[in-house]
Amino acid sequence: MPITRRNLIKAAGAAAALAALPGLVRGASLPAPRKVIVVGGGFAGSTVAKYIRLWSGGKVAVTLVDPSASHVSCVLSNLVLNGRMTLGELTIAHSKLGPYGVKIVRGQVTAINPASRSVTLSGGTTLTGDRLILAMGIGFGSVPGWTDRTRIPHAWIAGQQTAILRDQVRGLAVGGTFVMTVPKAPYRCPPGPYERACLVADILKRRGGGKVVVLDGNPVIQAEKETFERAFSGIYGGIVKYVPNATLLSVDNANRAVNTSAGTFKGGVVNLLPPHRAPGVILNAGLVPAGQSWAPVDPLTYESTLFPGVHVIGDSQATGQPKSAHMANSQAKVCADAIVRYSQGFDPLADADRTANVTTNSACYSPITYNAASWLTANFRYDATSRNMKLVQLGEADQWNSENYEDMFEWASNLFTDSFA
Amino acid sequence: MLDPTRKAIVFPALAVAALAGSSAAGAANMTDQLLASQCAQCHGTYGRAVAGMDSLAGESAGEITNELMEMRSEGRPTDIMEHQALGYTPAQIQRIAAYYSTLSRGSSSGGDD
Repeated sequence: MPITRRNLIKAAGAAAALAALPGLVRGASLPAPRKVIVVGGGFAGSTVAKYIRLWSGGKVAVTLVDPSASHVSCVLSNLVLNGRMTLGELTIAHSKLGPYGVKIVRGQVTAINPASRSVTLSGGTTLTGDRLILAMGIGFGSVPGWTDRTRIPHAWIAGQQTAILRDQVRGLAVGGTFVMTVPKAPYRCPPGPYERACLVADILKRRGGGKVVVLDGNPVIQAEKETFERAFSGIYGGIVKYVPNATLLSVDNANRAVNTSAGTFKGGVVNLLPPHRAPGVILNAGLVPAGQSWAPVDPLTYESTLFPGVHVIGDSQATGQPKSAHMANSQAKVCADAIVRYSQGFDPLADADRTANVTTNSACYSPITYNAASWLTANFRYDATSRNMKLVQLGEADQWNSENYEDMFEWASNLFTDSFA
Repeated sequence: MLDPTRKAIVFPALAVAALAGSSAAGAANMTDQLLASQCAQCHGTYGRAVAGMDSLAGESAGEITNELMEMRSEGRPTDIMEHQALGYTPAQIQRIAAYYSTLSRGSSSGGDD
């Protein structure tokens, strides 16, 4: 059998075959990029836009497209629920990237044409780049019966949804029940759902009592397991009820009830974290293989393994690294470096020193009460055998305390600034 | 309802002097730059931190290396940086330290210890 692209794909599976043939379909054969389109102005998109401008010395033009004039950070947004932060404090204008020479276009991307590296906006405008970088975050799978997101909010993309959930928790009667679902992994922010359960339990406890029912689609707590188990059974014992293996089946809007494989649960407030996947526009563009949820990429460049010249960074891609803001920033820098090298006529995939030193990392703080937090940290390194990022270090706080809570704002201030300003 | 005291998010208008002075680095330097940029989420773009976090820009390479190598040798890591230091090889730590030592301190509100 001749070694052709088609046969290799048949033989080895698309992702592995394409990874083995860097020159054939991947971006090395494309012209040096002079103009890049970034879709999405969250942590991933803003960071990649800023760093391409910085590292190219302003030589690569960057247009950033986002439907809003500002980004509302999911990081720290659980603190809006207990009034420790306001949404205003978490809202960051894309115009802060202006001094770097990033061109900001406000628009909703309705279609992606990966073959021509172009996107179509809702008004009909088309934007085309030498490279397309998709930093579009998460999409939600459908949930039967979930027809009203105002009555049953997700609050998993920060903004108006966060305010709706905050107001519902405020309005919950003393002794009332807060029901939340946790989607099957991978989902955005592994510790986030459990952090939210703790903060709502804290609110209810201080107010005189109530219940928090955590319906986890997974068999175990997905991050900081010991910390959250200790909080659920300790300071929130009698408030938090943790139910593992509760696969979400449907929602009853009218009765504020969720049907799961572990039973039906009714709440005064229901917070639905639905199944996650890449946004629909990414799925529709063919960037995610049938039956999968996330876009496969080469973690040395974040270039799609299916379409040359199209890069996917942050929560939408399939490398299996945690879907977090800190990681999104981290991946964005690897992508920015690759694109700047291409712009200078270098092939980043041909640079063994670079390949041996592609690293990413995550650090995040989880508030457990209104004034105490824990933390989680991880490092990843490129592994040539698996051609993926490999976890080399994972650590978490021994305890939650007020010092961590204060450090959390130092961390967030730097993460926000490095990403957006 | 709750204790009103808390820290705020510190958000300077612009952390660095944008594009002035940035230019195409050689491939090896670009790898150092990429490695080192992974510290910036917490220690600021180009190692110039805000909000009291330690800045790295302009620190001596020896000092950064020694601190990180010391953190790596802690028997049981207990803080974030002791864990993070274990995520890099000694050679990577030296490259990161050398990179930051070449940068000017810039002007920010970060600490330097």
